[in-house]
Amino acid sequence: MNTTVWLITAIILIVAIFIPRVGLIAIYKTYRIARERELVEDALKHLLDREQHARQASPESLAGILNLQRTTVMKLIEDMETQGLLESRGSDVHLTTQGERWALHVVRAHRLWERYLTDEARMPLGKIHGESERREHSLTEAQLNDLDAALGHPTRDPHGDPIPTREGTLLKAEGMPLTAWQAEGPMRIVHLEDEPALAFEQILAAGLRLGQTIRILDRNPQRYLLTDGETEFRLAPAVAANVSVAALPESETSKANAISLAELTYDQKAEIVLLDEAVQGFTRRRFLDLGLTPGTVIYPELKNFFGDPRAYRVRGTLIALRKDQAAQIWVKPM
Amino acid sequence: MEANEILAKAESLRNGLSTGFRDEIVKSLYTEAENIAKRAVKSTSNKKYDFDQKIDRLVTSPYAGLPIMLLLLSLIIWLTVSGANVVSGWIAVVLFGIGDYGRALFNQIGMPWWITGFIWDGVYLGLAWVVSVMLPPMMIFFPAFTFLEDLGYLPRVAFNMDWLFKKTGAHGKQSLTMAMGFGCNAAGVIATRVIDSPRERLIAILTNNFVPCNGRFPTLIMLATVFVAASFPPALTSLVAAGTVVGVVLIGVMFTFIASWILSRTVLKGEASAFTLELPPYRRPNISRILYTSIIDRTIFVLWRAMQTAAPAGALIWVLANIHLGDSNLARIIADWLNPFGLLLGLDGVILLAYIIAIPANEIVVPTMMMVYMGAGMMINGPTSSTEIFDLLVNGNGWTMLTAVNLMLFALLHNPCATTIMTIYKETKSLKWATLSVVMTLGTAFIVTFLTATIARLLGWA
Repeated sequence: MNTTVWLITAIILIVAIFIPRVGLIAIYKTYRIARERELVEDALKHLLDREQHARQASPESLAGILNLQRTTVMKLIEDMETQGLLESRGSDVHLTTQGERWALHVVRAHRLWERYLTDEARMPLGKIHGESERREHSLTEAQLNDLDAALGHPTRDPHGDPIPTREGTLLKAEGMPLTAWQAEGPMRIVHLEDEPALAFEQILAAGLRLGQTIRILDRNPQRYLLTDGETEFRLAPAVAANVSVAALPESETSKANAISLAELTYDQKAEIVLLDEAVQGFTRRRFLDLGLTPGTVIYPELKNFFGDPRAYRVRGTLIALRKDQAAQIWVKPM
Repeated sequence: MEANEILAKAESLRNGLSTGFRDEIVKSLYTEAENIAKRAVKSTSNKKYDFDQKIDRLVTSPYAGLPIMLLLLSLIIWLTVSGANVVSGWIAVVLFGIGDYGRALFNQIGMPWWITGFIWDGVYLGLAWVVSVMLPPMMIFFPAFTFLEDLGYLPRVAFNMDWLFKKTGAHGKQSLTMAMGFGCNAAGVIATRVIDSPRERLIAILTNNFVPCNGRFPTLIMLATVFVAASFPPALTSLVAAGTVVGVVLIGVMFTFIASWILSRTVLKGEASAFTLELPPYRRPNISRILYTSIIDRTIFVLWRAMQTAAPAGALIWVLANIHLGDSNLARIIADWLNPFGLLLGLDGVILLAYIIAIPANEIVVPTMMMVYMGAGMMINGPTSSTEIFDLLVNGNGWTMLTAVNLMLFALLHNPCATTIMTIYKETKSLKWATLSVVMTLGTAFIVTFLTATIARLLGWA
């Protein structure tokens, strides 16, 4: 009797451990492979990042970024070398052509995911980086191409970083850090660095966003004082270094004397100049579907008890927009 | 050119496009459409437009907007409740008449008592009860609601209320699905399809149950009349009863906001997403379409789902009331067993039993309670006058004011009925969300009733 019970338990255990695909060993193997791929891909990303900034990568820098022991990193480098992904010369580590291709694939996956999460899933900006870190390791090249096409071949991620093309070309990052900007007059925010997350949270909390036109009011070693003409923003210099700016492009000069739809007073007619660059994907399509195209005449007609949302008259129809949405539409009062 | 060449050409051209080319495409479509409209459409007068504008200024006005909305909602609920009473009576006479006839027929042909009882006093009575109590209010509420929908008024409600919902991380259109919930929570859950953001739609689905549906109004009205209004002068009774019910409804709305706020900071984390809403011009309502949508799409649909669950519940109730152990029946024994827990919540065992059996449809809560209190073998209406009900509950079964208040709160906050749970499962296609909807509401109901009972007892009120 007792032996039968033991025998059955043993059989069940053996099956549970060894059965292909769903057994414990199989699950562990899948996990190992996924973890291995994650490590390799994170290492590739780091090397690519270093090369783009013309800095040397080393086993130490890798150990730091991957949070691994030095011996484990040496083993990883060895493995990747045999796979032909990198070459180590002395203490320097370099990507091979094959390695760079794969690294670009991961970067592309990451930035396309960020675009997707912002535009279609409408996730808050502060959350997309972490989510994309988790998702970037699972897509194949073909799936990535489909995602790219579905999003309409975007060129930049929501932080302003360029997205590599399927051929593997990566544009150079635009602009220079705010701390290095010397010229007078207005400039445009072209990139918000999302790492470290703490600094990014501070940038978002200050109210800065991509595509905003700003001027420096004052700078001293304690803080930067910026303005968009309405609100003042304060940043610590260490955080300001994570904001990249560039000169205003030609098209943006039209925005310079425009105001946001949210600032328009009641029954004040205005013409839509453009939809803010930060609005992409679902929300932008929705705006366009409602007829909020550049050149359209619009005016606020109805308010309610709370003052938000307001209803606007566009082409004879009434459309209600929350203040946050109206702030993304630039108009010129008539 | 070869196909591949064309594709390669297209690819290279695409790379050179400015990012705003989609805007340009839409802009050109609109320009073209405007040109066509200019050629083809002649507008002679602005009368209609001016009239619409006047109404809009009124119904969205900062001061009159919200009162008008509350007034319309109260009017619809009042119409539903008072009108339904009359029609319910007629339907009950017919359906219960058929039941009596069937019972007599079975007795005549010599069926054993338990077959007759199971079929006519169990299954059939459950069905007949749900139909007679559920059908009339839905046949009044849904057409009235659809009338406002067809008129174009409902988007204005969403417009008026949006700010409150935005503050809780939800969508303005949730005010509409909430209002729909007064008719039927299952219909309210289906109505959340109008919310396009998945996160905010889930919030609307999970919190819909916090507004009392038609099936729960009779319980609230009975309690408000018997317990609250009875202590006021007779002239004021109906007014006080109505005021009490409105108060309970507002508590439900408050819980909707609190639950939405908590949900968007925990399991459904996220910011309020883009809100764009068209306020269409007012239209003359199309009566035949109103009747079709409200009767076929809403009433029959909900009623059919409710009937599927009401029949087995009727059978179960009959079994519980007719299996005797010693000198007590199964229903009584379970109720006694549940009693300590019920008392902890300021309720009693019979109430909890009634709510367990009434998971299929809240309409049968009161008849089941009456059945157990009066020791009957099937669901019954109980006494007709409020003094008799008061006597039965307070002197006969130990109710206090606390029991009445907590039962109102429990009726408002407890888990969705089976039809609604089924609908939540079908709409979300997820067992997880359906389970959460039950756990969340039931947990709220337990915590709130436990707190009121404990506080009332500590302060010596009960």
